[in-house]
Amino acid sequence: MPRTTTVECPVYPPFRALTFDALGLIKVIEARGGVPKVVDRWGEPDASKCVLAASIDDRKTDPLLAVARKNGVIEVLNPLNGELLVTVSDFGNSSARPEDDAIVGLHLFRRQRLELTSRLCTLLTCTTKGNASVKTVDISDSPEDSGASKTWNVCASGNIACSQVDGSENYALFGGKGVEVNMWDLDKCTNIWSAKPPPPNSLGIFTPTWFTSATFLSKDDHRKVVAGTNSHEVRLYDVSAQRRPVISFDFRETPIKAVTEDLDGHTIYIGNGSGDLASVDIHTGIKLILYACSAILLHFAFLILGRSSFFWKSLS
Amino acid sequence: MGGKRKNSESEGMEGDNDGKNSNKKMKKEKTEILPSSIKNKEKRSAVHAKLKHQKKLDKRKKLKARAAAEKRALELGEEPPPKQIPRTIENTREADATVCMPDDEELFAGNDADEFSSILKHDRTPKILITTCRFNSTRGPAFISELLSVIPNAHYYKRGTYDLKKIVEYANNKEFTSIIVVHTNRREPDGLLIIGLPDGPTAHFKLSSLVLRKDIKNHGNPTSHKPELVLNNFTTRLGHRIGRLIQSLFPQDPNFQGRRVVTFHNQRDFIFFRHHRYIFETKESKQSDSKGKKAKDAKDESIAKEKVVAHLQECGPRFTLKLVNLQHGTFDTKGGEYEWVHKPEMDTSRRRFFL
Repeated sequence: MPRTTTVECPVYPPFRALTFDALGLIKVIEARGGVPKVVDRWGEPDASKCVLAASIDDRKTDPLLAVARKNGVIEVLNPLNGELLVTVSDFGNSSARPEDDAIVGLHLFRRQRLELTSRLCTLLTCTTKGNASVKTVDISDSPEDSGASKTWNVCASGNIACSQVDGSENYALFGGKGVEVNMWDLDKCTNIWSAKPPPPNSLGIFTPTWFTSATFLSKDDHRKVVAGTNSHEVRLYDVSAQRRPVISFDFRETPIKAVTEDLDGHTIYIGNGSGDLASVDIHTGIKLILYACSAILLHFAFLILGRSSFFWKSLS
Repeated sequence: MGGKRKNSESEGMEGDNDGKNSNKKMKKEKTEILPSSIKNKEKRSAVHAKLKHQKKLDKRKKLKARAAAEKRALELGEEPPPKQIPRTIENTREADATVCMPDDEELFAGNDADEFSSILKHDRTPKILITTCRFNSTRGPAFISELLSVIPNAHYYKRGTYDLKKIVEYANNKEFTSIIVVHTNRREPDGLLIIGLPDGPTAHFKLSSLVLRKDIKNHGNPTSHKPELVLNNFTTRLGHRIGRLIQSLFPQDPNFQGRRVVTFHNQRDFIFFRHHRYIFETKESKQSDSKGKKAKDAKDESIAKEKVVAHLQECGPRFTLKLVNLQHGTFDTKGGEYEWVHKPEMDTSRRRFFL
């Protein structure tokens, strides 16, 4: 008799997730108490339209989804039905071609309630060479870009690999290869804080800086930052305390590809390059749960949707 | 002694019970004499042997009955009862959501965009660099020389003390399309690393059961014609990707007149490599007379007399590969992202395969 074990299908809380892949497709996955299923697919498979970054402004009325693609185009869509609202090309007016200076981070700012009627949305993008820009785009009848934009350079040398905007949308975080984590004030476009690498250890060995992902620990507090490095280290920084990391711990042996915070403000989820997912309590540094993933996977992209925080992997 | 008495007592009791329960179903009798409930090893093994013998007799009886039924049906000219399909592990493989479907446009789009498409679309001709680990001895060099004869346009370079990442750089400069690194452990090749270039994936295989050409009985000597490639049973997405990786090592225009075939057969996640020379022969089948009478009228007599068979002569090495991990990008174990890593916790089911 074959020895098979059946695992009870766990009951998922109802959720709706959007996933983005390297062929430029956006798929909608929904689970209403049962097994999650792909319910919708937007776009045609086209490798030049590979999705590099995405951000959502999830309001009850008129939500918006911004998607940055490999060919340098940023699209603003309606996340409920995938309808394309605006296409913004030549973002930041940079002369570099999209292949050299790919977009690494994208953030769609929340619109205030007063602006319900006005069809404006603001986007913050950051490229690998460190060109960050904030642009206001009009989603009116003509799906073309217009509006003022502010551009500044975030790093003198090195490549940016991760960027994040905090809950109050006043501060933005950037980090990357050879670029220490630094925090910028978005209104004044000034650098208010930058991290310092931990001191070399007793043997004098010093690992070069390479941050692969970073996030703010809680929505209301912009002072605590968690960052993951290429050398499988997760570090907690406190902006108000010191420039060196407050807590730092190792997680397995491959680069930390994604870090995201839980809504409770002290749990984080980390994902690494060999497919391990863990949730860690940042106060104690104890790994709470370790998830085993064995499917084909590459990049990890974390999205926060609505009331429940959720994570997904995007296949490249 | 006490044990013997106890068992004889229990047997006696069972005998009584048997007598009482003879009217009841046979099932109950079977559950009473479960061997695992008997503590005495001799008695237990005797009961077990008896059960096994009984099972064997039942099986043989069933087999004879089946053969007799088939023979009877053939004699009467009726349809023989349908042949039963044996249950195998491949038959009962767990359903995998990542199996490639023939109508999957995303798969085709992905194929167009992946690292091998330029070679598979005949834009680039494969040029392979073969090297070894730093210490290579005994069977390693023999295996390398055989690999050079199997894969056309392959070049061997001695390893020296170069870093693998540097070797990747040098190979990119010289426009190679793949690197194969044969890893040796204890004087026996046991690992194969295939790196696609310029920024292709890195597949790390475990190599086992290596049989060199000289150890194969009646082996043939391969020619230098471009071989045909046979890739069997690479069903899932991961398997498809590995299949394309292997395909990118060989030239895309096989020379069928050379009658040389290289086979990568995937079964249960083990990839079996075979290298044959084949020849087609038409055979006059001698049993055509007896079968010709029973054959339907529609069948042409000439076809019933001649059959085309393929004869294979094995040449070249014989080995098996098992995928250990597949890494995106060129060789970078610590900093790279893994598309697939084998973890022991994946091996929970005997019917679950990944390729």
